[in-house]
Amino acid sequence: MVSVTINGQRLDVEAGSTVLQAAERLGIEIPTFCYLKRLPALASCRMCLVEIEGQRRLQPSCATAIIDGMVVRTNTPLIDETRSSMLDMLLANHPLDCPICDKGGECELQDMVMAYGPRESRFRDAKRVFHSKDIRLSPVIIMNVNRCIQCQRCVRMCEEVVGAVALGTVEKGMDTAVTGFEGSLASCDQCGNCVEVCPVGALMSFPYRYKARPWDLAETDTVCPHCGTGCQLTVGARKGEFMRVHSKWEHGVNRETLCVRGRFGLDFVESRDRIKRPMIRRNGALVPVSWDEAGNYLRERLSGVESKAMGGLASPRLPNEMLYQFQKLMRTVFRTNNIDCSSRWSTPFDALGPLVAGFYTRAPLEELIGNDCVLVVGGNVTDENPVTEYLLRDGARRRQTGLLMLSARPSRLDADARAVLRVRPGSEAASLAAVVAGLVAAAGQASLADVFADLGAATDGPAVTPEDGGAHRLAVALMEGKSVTVLVSADLLRSPEARATLQQLNNLLQLLRALGKGPAMQFLFDRANQLGAWDMGVLPAVLPGMRPVVDVAARTTLERAWGAEIPSEPGADFEVMLELCDSGQVGALYIVGSDPLMAYPDREFVKRALGAAELLIVQDSFLTDTAGLADVVLPAAGYGEESGTLTNNEGRAQNVRKFREPAFEARGNLVIFDFVATLRDQVLRPSTQGEIFDEIARLIPSHQGLSQDQLGPDGAFTMAGPPPPAGEFFGPPPTPTAADGLTLITGNCLFHNGYISERSEILNTVADDPYVEMSARDATQLGLSDGDEVVVRSAQGELTAKLKVNRHFPGGLVFVPENYKTLRLNSLMRRREYPCPVEVERAQATFEIATAAGPGL
Amino acid sequence: MFEPVLLRNVGVPDGHLLATYRAGGGYQALAKALHEHTPDEIIDLVKNSNLRGRGGAGFPTGMKWSFVPKKAAKPKYLCCNADEGEPGTFKDRIIMERDPHQLVEGMAISAYAIGAETAYVYIRGEYTLAIRRLERAIAEAEAEGYLGKRILGSDFSFVVHIHCGAGAYICGEETAMLDSLEGKRAQPRLKPPFPAVEGLYASPTVINNVETLACVPHIVMRGPNWFRGIGPDKSPGPKLYCVSGQVRKPGLYELPMGIPLRELVEDHAGGPPPGRKIKAVIPGGVSAPLIPALGLDVGMDFDSLAAAGSMLGSAGVIVIDDSTCIVKVATRIIEFFHHESCGKCTPCREGLNWVVKVLRRVETGQGAPGDLEQLKALCNGIFGNTFCALGDGAAMGLRAALAHFEDEFVAHIEEQRCPFNEKHAGRELLGSYG
Ligand SMILES: Cc1cc2nc3c(=O)[nH]c(=O)nc-3n(C[C@H](O)[C@H](O)[C@H](O)COP(=O)(O)O)c2cc1C
Ligand code: SF4
Ligand code: SF4
Ligand code: SF4
Ligand code: SF4
Ligand code: FES
Repeated sequence: MVSVTINGQRLDVEAGSTVLQAAERLGIEIPTFCYLKRLPALASCRMCLVEIEGQRRLQPSCATAIIDGMVVRTNTPLIDETRSSMLDMLLANHPLDCPICDKGGECELQDMVMAYGPRESRFRDAKRVFHSKDIRLSPVIIMNVNRCIQCQRCVRMCEEVVGAVALGTVEKGMDTAVTGFEGSLASCDQCGNCVEVCPVGALMSFPYRYKARPWDLAETDTVCPHCGTGCQLTVGARKGEFMRVHSKWEHGVNRETLCVRGRFGLDFVESRDRIKRPMIRRNGALVPVSWDEAGNYLRERLSGVESKAMGGLASPRLPNEMLYQFQKLMRTVFRTNNIDCSSRWSTPFDALGPLVAGFYTRAPLEELIGNDCVLVVGGNVTDENPVTEYLLRDGARRRQTGLLMLSARPSRLDADARAVLRVRPGSEAASLAAVVAGLVAAAGQASLADVFADLGAATDGPAVTPEDGGAHRLAVALMEGKSVTVLVSADLLRSPEARATLQQLNNLLQLLRALGKGPAMQFLFDRANQLGAWDMGVLPAVLPGMRPVVDVAARTTLERAWGAEIPSEPGADFEVMLELCDSGQVGALYIVGSDPLMAYPDREFVKRALGAAELLIVQDSFLTDTAGLADVVLPAAGYGEESGTLTNNEGRAQNVRKFREPAFEARGNLVIFDFVATLRDQVLRPSTQGEIFDEIARLIPSHQGLSQDQLGPDGAFTMAGPPPPAGEFFGPPPTPTAADGLTLITGNCLFHNGYISERSEILNTVADDPYVEMSARDATQLGLSDGDEVVVRSAQGELTAKLKVNRHFPGGLVFVPENYKTLRLNSLMRRREYPCPVEVERAQATFEIATAAGPGL
Repeated sequence: MFEPVLLRNVGVPDGHLLATYRAGGGYQALAKALHEHTPDEIIDLVKNSNLRGRGGAGFPTGMKWSFVPKKAAKPKYLCCNADEGEPGTFKDRIIMERDPHQLVEGMAISAYAIGAETAYVYIRGEYTLAIRRLERAIAEAEAEGYLGKRILGSDFSFVVHIHCGAGAYICGEETAMLDSLEGKRAQPRLKPPFPAVEGLYASPTVINNVETLACVPHIVMRGPNWFRGIGPDKSPGPKLYCVSGQVRKPGLYELPMGIPLRELVEDHAGGPPPGRKIKAVIPGGVSAPLIPALGLDVGMDFDSLAAAGSMLGSAGVIVIDDSTCIVKVATRIIEFFHHESCGKCTPCREGLNWVVKVLRRVETGQGAPGDLEQLKALCNGIFGNTFCALGDGAAMGLRAALAHFEDEFVAHIEEQRCPFNEKHAGRELLGSYG
């Protein structure tokens, strides 16, 4: 600790703190422009200069570390004059076109001039003008260089936080201008973080251009609906019309950052394919009807299928309350445990349960990254959880976090990693086993003999020898780490080997725990409320609170609380539900907010199975492909049209808030569940969102004690239960069959992650065309080059898209993003087979090019 | 007569070749350093010599070297600052053109002292002859084993790379130079960390001027006391003065530190052209505030000039006679700084732009009442508040011009014209060298 006196107030601060930080703690305001909390100080704007006793010159408080006993003054006439002078200089060439500037009203320069500026400027010469027409840097970013004050926040944000390095600075002195490479933003993520941090109206959002004045906007703090990172954001709407998103600088996992989906991908709420009215199938076609008519029809149909099995699928983007109510409806009204929450995979709960119970760390990611070693397993965090990636990059660059990557897909974050283990898709379990074996070796048997005497009791211990060089390096790095965090991409659940992968993860974490690395673990979900969906018990074998259905005590407690019986046998997961449908055993399948026809492997099969359900009920806000097959379609409120809570990857419960009324005749999801229950002459109690939240807080241990009013701007953390006693140590995974040819994997791309992003006009504009990615080597071998139209063919089907050659790709790997509706990727995929063997070849030209024109041409 | 040290080979035919250099005793200092001294002893020699950096700031060289951590995980680097961007300065150029081996030997000894195995010479891109000769000298020295692996049978290995600048003055500022060497846009870096600890590629780095490094072999050969015996004890040594402007014999002079400015200008450089009187002298490149004729008795060393409100800087001595308009001089100088401002910090980037606009108006007879107050206010806003010394230098120079020659500025505004205009077409100023 060192002590500092600022304006006569004394304070003890940690060594290394800056004068600015100390002043902030004392509540002394120091104006800044170039300073940004999460970036290294630049100290260029000179707004924050202060007097320090014993120093000849004024010093930038943002970059001056406190020396014990330092005496600082920020309130002298010299400081007033200096601040005023800096602003005077900044204004000299500033266009002062505030009346037509989008930033007007929330501009830091304006505010600063009002607070500290000269009353009047004496500048009377011609102003410098870079251009008279604003420059469109990208589909979402427009720039007015004349207004730029050169704080470089944008450039640094782009390079150091986002990692895109799309913006740069050219020329020098007064000609200095921020721009992209050759005037466009070649490697840009379109995340708009540069726009967010620009203090003035230099970098602006194009979609929001000239749309509104900040004081006309009704702003609502809410949570991003896209991925499980769960960023806090603020929606600005004018007269109920969605206008823009911006981030709340001090709050949430993300603070001032968002990714492209969060910042620009919320316009899907205005998408045109909203379901306007309830629909029922009449003479083979869906026809709009009133709610009453739909109710009568549904009542009748439901009573006709009573004897058969029921099933339900709900989207892991729905708020906790809706999910909780859904499983309650299914379990108590339809008396079934056939419920699931992913349209893409089924989750082996027997392996997942112990992993989550034993290791899931419900704590800020920021804290987890503070561990000196972070292992990221699977997926592509850059594309799937961009803001999580920013935090990881920050850890690696500024907090000396050792980043380790183990995945089939390369990502931008690899560049910041200490070690990268590129694995063959499908061999994740084997690679993890190799890491475990390597770790045993790296630890030296001596200290581990005892550990394994304990753990080994359950099994034969790890049998894989650490021959793999990459796995060994990873193991050594893990061994060197004092504390380890493991982040697991939910992507791993796609594979039929998911069980083995989860088991090996469990082994790894147990070992790390035994080695005293206090491992922390979180999943990286690509859906906003996947963890919430598990917590709420939207799984066939699990009750709310992730307690097994077969756990009598847990079941009884809930039965008592709900005043209804819960079937005692675990239900069918979605995979099995589809099979039951296909064999004609399902009476009604109730799908809420999910589009399995688009997403579940083997489109033909899914279509057949959904068609074979006697009654298909789809409750959604958009007219999905699945809804097109339904017998009854119930229009539900969409994002922003009802309030609730979401639980992000960190286990942080956050309020997702309503900012407008449900469109057309849509009703809130809870209202619809009530409606459906009533059709079965039952009532669900409680039925309002707030009351349901309270019930959740009462009945689910991880949510114990939470109250919705207390979910402030940072939300509140759910709690992990006490870790169960060390579980079994699983045997080695099956050796993956080595495939010689190309294997196809899928996942999210940066711009899309599911059916809501596909309905965002802006995301569709900025996203690449549908594409197929492969390594340069494979492409060359196949005689293909970047941009070629190629056909990807599996045993099941084929698709055509543009080839993207990725020089970071390993040989043999083919990637097609799962998010492009037009590609119908799932028609290539087979169930229980992932990755998918494929062939790739040049697409046949659709028209002949006239050959060999004669000489003389 | 002062016996030349640094310029000793300049008049010698083929002075730039290794044979000539060796014939004059060249590379003996390197051999002596490697065989008779430990690196620390070399640092002590240089410390005891009181050698101060010739690049402008006059920082004690031995002390700078001693800041380099003895044990470092990363390689250490030596950077030779040969950017010589300061208007009125042409000393490093002459060393590199006429006696490049002197620099090579100086670098080798310095690198040995700080434990660097690699040096970069950041050389002004326009110095094509100097670049060619230095390249040749490096090749010759490599061929003869003065550079390369295990030099002269010792354990010391050392290579030198040349990097040509692309014409920005700010690249002469040592940390901006490091950014430029790393392939980035050159802008000064925040200190701390200081380059000695975290410089090039975040490794310990020493940056020294060409002339500074050229002094080192002589200190090794003749000893620190000899060096300290030349000129003032706190600021000693042989010194190169670049005299330009309105004098009869402009040129590069090697004389002891501390000689009176008057002696340099009037005796050695021959004084002003016939019929003219000296009005002012800029003693250390355009970053140094001018000294009016009355102050010419000041000694040309770091401390005396600082006490006189100016600085030795790069020892670019620019003489201004009474036919020259000071407003014009000030305007040209500020135009230079304005053009060369890197643009990083507000006061230099925005402030100088404003200053230039006002000065140009005043100079061309369009000044208005209040302009001088505005200029002074701008100097106050700039001076002391900029990120690096460039902005400070600009403001200091203008302040001095305003302080000593306010009447000329006032005359421009009152008469709405330049009083010197008829008498003087205005091309000579700053134009008499090069
Ligand atoms: C704007 C600016 C330009 C400079 N240009 C040069 C230059 O051209 N050559 C030089 O040797 N030093 C120059 N310097 C000084 C260097 O930053 C640095 O102090 C010097 O190279 C250190 O070497 P020395 O200790 O041997 O003098 C400049 C400094 C500033 C602030
Ligand atoms: S939108 Fe994001 S990636 Fe693009 S320039 Fe701005 S910060 Fe960089
Ligand atoms: S564009 Fe905005 S953020 Fe970027 S340097 Fe200019 S003012 Fe700063
Ligand atoms: S990282 Fe995820 S939660 Fe955050 S803005 Fe992007 S999509 Fe939304
Ligand atoms: S004073 Fe500021 S703008 Fe001027 S050169 Fe130095 S850092 Fe760049
Ligand atoms: S905020 Fe400190 S210099 Fe810009």
